[in-house]
Amino acid sequence: MSTTFLRRARGAVVLGMAPVLALAACGSEGGSGDAAGDGSVRMLVNITDNLTQAKWEELVKPFEDESGIDVKIEGPSGQSVAESFPALLAAGTAPDVIESIVPGPDTAPEVLDLTEYEWASGTPMADLYSTDGTINVVGVGMQAQSLMYYNADLFAEAGITEPPTTWDELDDALAALAANDVATPIAFASDWATGVQVQEIWHPQQNVSTPGWQQSVADGSSTLGDQFQPVFEHVADWIEAGYTTADDVATDSGTQEANFIAGDVGVYPMGSWFSTTLAASPPDFEVGVFAPPVDDAADVPGPMGATLAFPYMVWKGTANPDGATALVEYLTTDDAAIAAQAEMDSFSREGLEPSSNEYAGMVQELSDAAPSYVVPGNQTVGDYALPVAGFNPKFTELVQGLWQGRPPADVAADLTAWYEAEKLG
Amino acid sequence: MARTTTTRRGLVSGLANGLMTLPAAAVYTGLTVVPVGYAVYYSFTQYNGIPSQAPTWVGWDNYVRIVTDPIGDLRPAAWVTLVIAVVGAFLVNGAALGLALLLRRTTPFNTFARAVMFYPHVLSALIVGFLWQAILGPQGAVNNLLENAGRSSWPFLSDPDWALVTLVGVIVWAQFGVQLVLYLAGLQAVSPELQEAARLDGANGPQVFRHVTWPALAPTVTVTIVTSILSLLKVYDVVLGLTNGGPGDATQTWAYEILAVSFANNKVGLACAQAVLLVVVAGILSFTIIALRRRAEEGAEAVG
Repeated sequence: MSTTFLRRARGAVVLGMAPVLALAACGSEGGSGDAAGDGSVRMLVNITDNLTQAKWEELVKPFEDESGIDVKIEGPSGQSVAESFPALLAAGTAPDVIESIVPGPDTAPEVLDLTEYEWASGTPMADLYSTDGTINVVGVGMQAQSLMYYNADLFAEAGITEPPTTWDELDDALAALAANDVATPIAFASDWATGVQVQEIWHPQQNVSTPGWQQSVADGSSTLGDQFQPVFEHVADWIEAGYTTADDVATDSGTQEANFIAGDVGVYPMGSWFSTTLAASPPDFEVGVFAPPVDDAADVPGPMGATLAFPYMVWKGTANPDGATALVEYLTTDDAAIAAQAEMDSFSREGLEPSSNEYAGMVQELSDAAPSYVVPGNQTVGDYALPVAGFNPKFTELVQGLWQGRPPADVAADLTAWYEAEKLG
Repeated sequence: MARTTTTRRGLVSGLANGLMTLPAAAVYTGLTVVPVGYAVYYSFTQYNGIPSQAPTWVGWDNYVRIVTDPIGDLRPAAWVTLVIAVVGAFLVNGAALGLALLLRRTTPFNTFARAVMFYPHVLSALIVGFLWQAILGPQGAVNNLLENAGRSSWPFLSDPDWALVTLVGVIVWAQFGVQLVLYLAGLQAVSPELQEAARLDGANGPQVFRHVTWPALAPTVTVTIVTSILSLLKVYDVVLGLTNGGPGDATQTWAYEILAVSFANNKVGLACAQAVLLVVVAGILSFTIIALRRRAEEGAEAVG
């Protein structure tokens, strides 16, 4: 009887422990690709309509053939690479190479210092994205952020002969579009896009008024509210005039891009990556691009907001540092790899053949004409980083209040209050 | 001598039974107790979740921050969550009970209808959010139909108040299937003889429901209210798919604040404090509801 009991108990224990053992087995593999000694490199990348898994595989194939290193492409496990990387770090399964994000205050200590690598200092914008001379992220080029795509046919029909260069001219252009029954004279989109777009249209004037404004905010000589209230007032005026409606901030960027391509939108603020989308689905009207306006015509053209295209970081804890750095070196310095990435998502780079994409060509002209490149506020790396995390999500949340009738001064005050609370940690 | 043997046998039997609970206890401890313990510990620290960077003990600072809410983002989230939990629980249970009464008899149509009613719950909450966004968004199916009919579009997702109403509606649609099954099971336990006796005594349908069916359903009602409120308190996926918390912060729930704001910004200490508070609130609510429902359940026993 008791023997039967003991046998049953033993069986129950074994059966009960099976899932635990299985879980333990699942979690036993090391994070780095080389942990198992297979010489591979895991790379966490952004997956989008332009940047597909297949294109990434194709991009790294020459490197794999040349080096014998197997590159394992992984998409984000969460909503984005920015969300996934810290989670993977916490889980002990961090990838060897991380693409599409730049180091933040929390992740910077986990990223390999690339300063000692000679090739790293020669990559585009390495200085602008370095922190106290330390390079821990490298990229393949520059993506212009401050761009206003416009429907040239609608402009012509509304009697607008030249793209606007000052805020007054832009207001006049939007009024003319509205008077000509254009459904959406200027379009914004929901989620992350609202914040990015409002920042984009303000980059030039903001950096004319306060060069290095992030540092002014950080040292207390300015506030985020002071920095952004003027653009909030511009946007509030447009909302009041009906040039953009609350529906905009409930419409995702993909749909809003389709609306532009369908000819329903006069002006669409968006980064250079939109030129790739336009090239993939060319509209049946003429598209133009102009730089966001400045207050005074004497300041035209203003500085261009610019971000690092295809940023790459190497995890400090990688078991295969040589393989990981070799991969990043290949991706950021090999001509064929750079050209392949430019096809995936257009960017500009000195020495890079001009893109056959006509829209990217227009963007390139504007970038070349800009007196300087400036780091947007949502970038978390380098000497121009705001000392807070989550700037764009909070900025987006607050700025969407303008479409709900909140006064610009209140939105600006809330932005300042958020910064003051967050910088304390 | 015989008693000693019996006692020893009882002890061995008890020990064996105890041993049999060990695997389950180990799994439960490993997968629930330990993580919750860590969450409580982290809630008293400043920690970014990266193992190589040690947590810093900050005592009650995270809880103070939640209470003082210096940037005014947690109170609105608490309010949105309260609205979803209270209004949602009322609607979920109302809809589930009403449909359960309609579908209680087993017929081919009712069997098919039950499956249809339960179907939304099978879908991933995230998919439900995206699905309804495609239906109710500014350029969704409904607004396209309205515009084609010459009507102005409806701000289901672009107006803060309407977005919250829409969110509650979508959550109810997605969640009432489970409660429906519970009510159907509860109705099976209601004595047909008692209902028949009440009818013979001259009671009409509503009277039979009020005096016989409803009291007999009391234990089921307690379970459904508690389970629905608990699931509504931690609504996150639907929010992500439907509104992503917008417009502005109009539909940001407490769980959204934890997962999409605090965790996303690597504020693991603060997120854990928010999660601990959510567990405490859920516990208080659950025990309060159970205590309040005890008398009703005693009445149910009397009916049974």
